[in-house]
Amino acid sequence: MRSRRAQWTIGFVALVLGFLAIVQLRAQAGGVGLANLSAQDLTTLIASLNQRNTQLASEVSTLEAQARSLQQARAQGVSAMGGLRDDLDRIRLWAGLDPVTGRGVVVECAGPMTADAANDLLNELRIAGAEALAVNSVRVVAATVVAGPPGALSVENVPLTSPFRVYAIGNSINLTASLTRVGGIVSQLQVTSPDVQLTVTPEDSLVLPATDRSLLPVDGKPRL
Amino acid sequence: MAGLIARARAIPSWQLTLGAAMLVLGFLVTAQAGAEPSRVQYTSQERPPLVETATTLQSQQDDLKAQILQLRTQIEQLEASSAGNGALVTNMNQQLQQARLAAGLVDLQGPGVVVQLEDSTQAIPPGAAPGDYLVGASDLRTVVNELWLDGAEAIVVNGERITATSGLTDIGSSILLNGAYLQPPYQIVAIGPKDIYSRLTSSDNFAQFVKARIEAFGIRLGAGALDNAVVPAYAGTVALSYARALPPGASPVATSGVSAP
Repeated sequence: MRSRRAQWTIGFVALVLGFLAIVQLRAQAGGVGLANLSAQDLTTLIASLNQRNTQLASEVSTLEAQARSLQQARAQGVSAMGGLRDDLDRIRLWAGLDPVTGRGVVVECAGPMTADAANDLLNELRIAGAEALAVNSVRVVAATVVAGPPGALSVENVPLTSPFRVYAIGNSINLTASLTRVGGIVSQLQVTSPDVQLTVTPEDSLVLPATDRSLLPVDGKPRL
Repeated sequence: MAGLIARARAIPSWQLTLGAAMLVLGFLVTAQAGAEPSRVQYTSQERPPLVETATTLQSQQDDLKAQILQLRTQIEQLEASSAGNGALVTNMNQQLQQARLAAGLVDLQGPGVVVQLEDSTQAIPPGAAPGDYLVGASDLRTVVNELWLDGAEAIVVNGERITATSGLTDIGSSILLNGAYLQPPYQIVAIGPKDIYSRLTSSDNFAQFVKARIEAFGIRLGAGALDNAVVPAYAGTVALSYARALPPGASPVATSGVSAP
C-alpha cells in the first residue's frame, strides 16, 4: 500500500519535473528572433512591415484587375494587346530597361570616397524608397556595384572621378531626410571620412537613362 | 554517529528517490523563477503585443506574396493564350517573358554558389561591442556585392530576391530585406558562371571580409559551389509612384539630369 502510493508520488513528481525541464529549455531557446528585439526596434519593424504590406496589397489589387480584364477580353474574344503592352511597359520601367523621369534627389559626392561608402549610399537610397537610381550616366540595377580603391572608383567599368553624382527618383523629402538624419550616412561619413563631402539636393525633374546591361540570364535558366 | 548512520539506513529507498527528485524539482522551479524576472525587466510592458503584431504582419506578408506569385502565373497564362493576331501576340509574349526574366520575376536555376553566415558563438570579451559578434546587414551587403562583381546573375538571401530597389538594413540585431524580416542563419544563393565559387573565394574583398569578420569575431561562415542553385522569383511590387516613362520623343541624353559634371 505504501509502496503503491510512493510510486504514484514519484510518477507525479517526474511528470512535473519533465514539464518544468521543457519549459525551462524553451524559455532559453526562445531568445532567438522577434522576442530578442527591443520595443523600439519592434516598432520600427512593425512600421516597415505595415508599409510593405500596403504596397503588396496594392500590387495584389493591380494584378487582380489585370487578370479580370484579360479574362473579359478572352470571354468576349477581343484582343488584349493594349493590356499586354501596358504590362510590358510597367515591368520594363521597373526593371531599368527603359529611361525614367520623375522628382527626387541628386547627391554630389566629392573627395576620396571608398567603394563601400558609395555602395552604402545606394543602399540607403533604396531603403528610403528610391524607385530608380543612376551614378553619373550609369543606371543602377540590382547587379550594379561601385568598385575600386578611393580615387579610382568605377561603376560598370566607367571611371568615377570626383565629384560624381548619384541620382535617385522617389519622394525627395523622404530621401533627403533619410540621408541627412542624425546617424545617417552623411553624418557617418563626416566622422569616418572628413575629406568626403556629400551634398544632397532635391530636384523636381530628373531623367535617368536605361541600363546598358543585358539583364537576361545566360548561366541561369527559368526553372520549370 | 553510529546512531545517525543507522537512522539513515532505516529511511526507505523510495523516500531517498523522492527527496532527490524534489531537490531537482526545486532547482528547476528556482531556475524558472529566476529566468522570468530578467526577461520581464529586459522586456517592457508593451512588448508581447508588439511581438504578436509583428508576427501577424509577417504572416500577412507571406500570404500577400503567395497571392502575387499565383496571380502572376495566372496573368502569364492568360496573356499567352490571348486573342488577336497570332504573330503579334506571340511576339508580345516573348517580350513579356524577357522583361520578366530581366526584372527577376521568374524562378531561375543554374550553376552557382551558396554562402551561409551565422552569428559568432565566441564569448564576448568585457568591453567589446556585442554587435560585432552578430551578422549585420553590412556583412550581407559585402558578400552580395562581391558576388555581383564575380558575375552573379541572380541572388537571393533567405529566399528574398535582390532587385534594383532592394536594400539591406539592420533593425536592432536583425536584418530587413525587401521589407521582409530575415532570421539567422543567413543563406545567400547566387547563380552565375561555373567558376563563381572560386572567383568569390579568391577575391581580395572576400579575403578581407574573412579576416575582418570571420577571423576577428568568429562570425560563422560556410560556402560551397552548387551545380544547380535555385533562385526564386521576386515576390513583391513592381509599382512605381514617382518614376514615369519619358514622354514620347524625349531624349534622356539631352537633359542635365544625367550629364556627368
